[in-house]
Amino acid sequence: MRSAHPALLLATFGLFGCADRSSDPGAGEVGGTVVITVPGGFPPSLPPIIQEATSRAVADQVFERLADIGEDLNTLGDRGFTPRLAQRWSWAPDSLSIAFALDPRARWHDGRPVRASDVRFTLGLLKDPLTSSPFTTLLVNIDSISVADSLTAVVWFRRRTPEQFYDAAYQIEVLPEHVLGRVPRNQLRAANVASVFVGSGPFRMSQYEPGVRLTLIADTANYRGRPKLDRVIWSFSTDAGAAITQFMSGQSDIYDGVPTDVLPRLDSNPNLRVRPVTGFVYAYMAINQRDPRRNAAPHPIFADRQVRRALSMALDREAMLRNVFGPTGVLGAGPYPSALADSAVRMLPFDRAAAAAMLDSAGWRAGADGIRSKDGRPLAFSILVPTSSAQRMRYAVLLQEQFRAVGARVTVDARDIQGFIDRQNTRNFDMTLTAWSSDPAIGGIKQTWTTSGMVGGNNNMSYSNPQVDALIDSALTGFDPVRTRQYAHRAYQMIVDDAPAVWLYDFVQNLGYHSRLRPVDVRATGWAFGLARWWIPEAERIDRDRLGLRPPPPQP
Amino acid sequence: MRRFVAVRIAHAVVVVFIVTTIAFFLIHSVPGDPFQTDNPRITQEIRDRLRAEFGYDRPVIEQYVRYVGNVARGELGFSHSLQIPVLTALGGALKRTLALMASALTLSFALGIWLGVFEARHAGRRSARVANRMSLLLYSMPDFWVALMLLLAFAYWIPLFPAGGMIDVVMHDYLSPMGKLWDYARHMALPLLALTLVLTAYIARYQRAVLLDQMPSDYVRTARAKGADESRVVRRHALRNALLPMITLAGLAFPMLLGGAVFVEKVFAWPGMGLMITTAIFARDYPLVIAGVIVGGVMVTLGSLLADIAYGLADPRIRVR
Repeated sequence: MRSAHPALLLATFGLFGCADRSSDPGAGEVGGTVVITVPGGFPPSLPPIIQEATSRAVADQVFERLADIGEDLNTLGDRGFTPRLAQRWSWAPDSLSIAFALDPRARWHDGRPVRASDVRFTLGLLKDPLTSSPFTTLLVNIDSISVADSLTAVVWFRRRTPEQFYDAAYQIEVLPEHVLGRVPRNQLRAANVASVFVGSGPFRMSQYEPGVRLTLIADTANYRGRPKLDRVIWSFSTDAGAAITQFMSGQSDIYDGVPTDVLPRLDSNPNLRVRPVTGFVYAYMAINQRDPRRNAAPHPIFADRQVRRALSMALDREAMLRNVFGPTGVLGAGPYPSALADSAVRMLPFDRAAAAAMLDSAGWRAGADGIRSKDGRPLAFSILVPTSSAQRMRYAVLLQEQFRAVGARVTVDARDIQGFIDRQNTRNFDMTLTAWSSDPAIGGIKQTWTTSGMVGGNNNMSYSNPQVDALIDSALTGFDPVRTRQYAHRAYQMIVDDAPAVWLYDFVQNLGYHSRLRPVDVRATGWAFGLARWWIPEAERIDRDRLGLRPPPPQP
Repeated sequence: MRRFVAVRIAHAVVVVFIVTTIAFFLIHSVPGDPFQTDNPRITQEIRDRLRAEFGYDRPVIEQYVRYVGNVARGELGFSHSLQIPVLTALGGALKRTLALMASALTLSFALGIWLGVFEARHAGRRSARVANRMSLLLYSMPDFWVALMLLLAFAYWIPLFPAGGMIDVVMHDYLSPMGKLWDYARHMALPLLALTLVLTAYIARYQRAVLLDQMPSDYVRTARAKGADESRVVRRHALRNALLPMITLAGLAFPMLLGGAVFVEKVFAWPGMGLMITTAIFARDYPLVIAGVIVGGVMVTLGSLLADIAYGLADPRIRVR
């Protein structure tokens, strides 16, 4: 194993999550059942077609990658990656291929050995258009996978890039060819969960009852050792309110996403704990630079960079954050989640007087009613917001008031989530309160803040700056970590100065859990990353922890 | 009587067809589609492929004709949000909702009629006034509010019952048959109570009014003159006639209960029809929404039809007309 391209970009951005891996305090503490309540009756999806976090958490317990990303979440080269299905790997001298040697002990849950042909099969499945996988676009740099021998899979790349190892090792969860090879690719979504969820991970699928529960049990014969917990159950609830009630009444052990206003009630309950987990989701107000009615034309107000900057500077982001989230909120750090922030980037300051002066100089003069106008056009626009997000609804009202203070008349355009997405995708908005789940990879920034993100990305605000595009491309193709950092920094600063958005807050998921649980390795990539190593002390176990792995009695 | 039933069934089929048609075009006219997402990794190409796979790229009229044809063959399509056939999804949810509704309906009528009779028999007395005010109070409360209060009181403050769900997801499989039944009953207690309380109040008030209407009748006076005690007068004479309008009420209570079940299922995380359909609406899961509307329409018209038939059986004058 070697670090082919030891770039340090992400490592400089700091550590996240809360790793408790100094030792194994739960050694020998085997057993216990964890019940996780989730709002909505999500259907579990196979890794190639996963779209939401709960499905991801389930799949990550059942299936495995070739290597796991390290605690510092470095995605450049292979530094920090730890072996998983692959015991070791070796780079070709030209770095255009990497040979992964699979752990010979690895077995699928049905007892068959994991083979290199399974890795090749998985790539074929991910790339097949019939699969309609959302991950296909992330694997464009992988040309093919060949089988050197039954335990060696060689991944071939189209070109040498700093994140090629991450693409191969982390973006592919290996699937069993002997199980999924007989399922038509366009039928993966309809496949019977109990029969196709055959993985090599620490837990195996036990039971799935749509709308009621999904049960995983420990794979006691797992080649990496059995997980500490016996059983993990996802219990589906109707909505967040019902799920929290079940969690607070002790019916479930974990609820991910405890709202801020519920936290004080949890404080008074000695059986419950909360751990804030900063992830990769950040929320911002995107400013459309194209006319919502005629996308080819520039926006009559926001095409002017000075107006965008003035409106950004008119907003007291800190005050709004405290108003909505109280002291626990995390202020938006820029065009990235706080966990990956470049602290040297200077954000536009809050300066209402300067904002007013800038609007004046741009020709937007205040009228008798206090509303500014230019050439007979009032400074009036709307903010698109999804009704499903209470936080964003509150933000919309606060923004309306703050914009009013500098002479802008704002209407709140609240839509149900599908209507909201429809408006965003068709670029039919002035401003939108949106959120984006970033990727740990630096390449993720391209999807939102570069010109290429306008097609096939989520750059719905049509922000385009060729200099930013060039700088990001340079950062992604260079192998000198210092220069990569410099390129990225210049691009970030340029984006902030162009004010295509106002970065409002980062999502901090409050992970609520029962006090008898001992969480291990809760990470920004997902709280359930280390679930196989969570444990429950013998002395604190309750009835459901003592069930063991005995099967239920046969039905009469 | 056969002709009467046949005509009523024909009416019911027409009503369900119209409701289905309206639901189909309404849900298709709402912005968004089942494959619309803000995930940029779901490219337009993928969306278009999935839309074509499920026929959503065709004109809406063509989709409608195909859908009606499929429904006629008993095929209700595939749920995109649950990733299972609609029939499978409905099968599971419908029986849970019906279990809740049937229990609530039976309990409400038993309690409501008893309470109505009690209030009528003891009209003017303090106990009847208290019962009357209590039923008025319950009747004026929205069902979702009653559900929330019950949840707060009996699952959180005094944790006598589970806070939600249909079973104990861990222990249920390990229980004996009687234990399983008890587990269901414990989980059903609060949602059932929430639905029953409001409906009981409604039925009690109705029953009281109808009974008080019958009490001054000649046949009641005759019964009293013949020396029958008050209890017998009410139960054997007045109540028999006063129960007839309750048959109609049973038919009307069905849709009312179905509407209430949506909220109650949501509060108590009861995995029934109401919850499934509201989730499907937000996910623009067209086949599931329309199938839900069909089932709802069938349940309502069936309730009404059964009430009409029962009324016809109970009152020969209706059959003659």
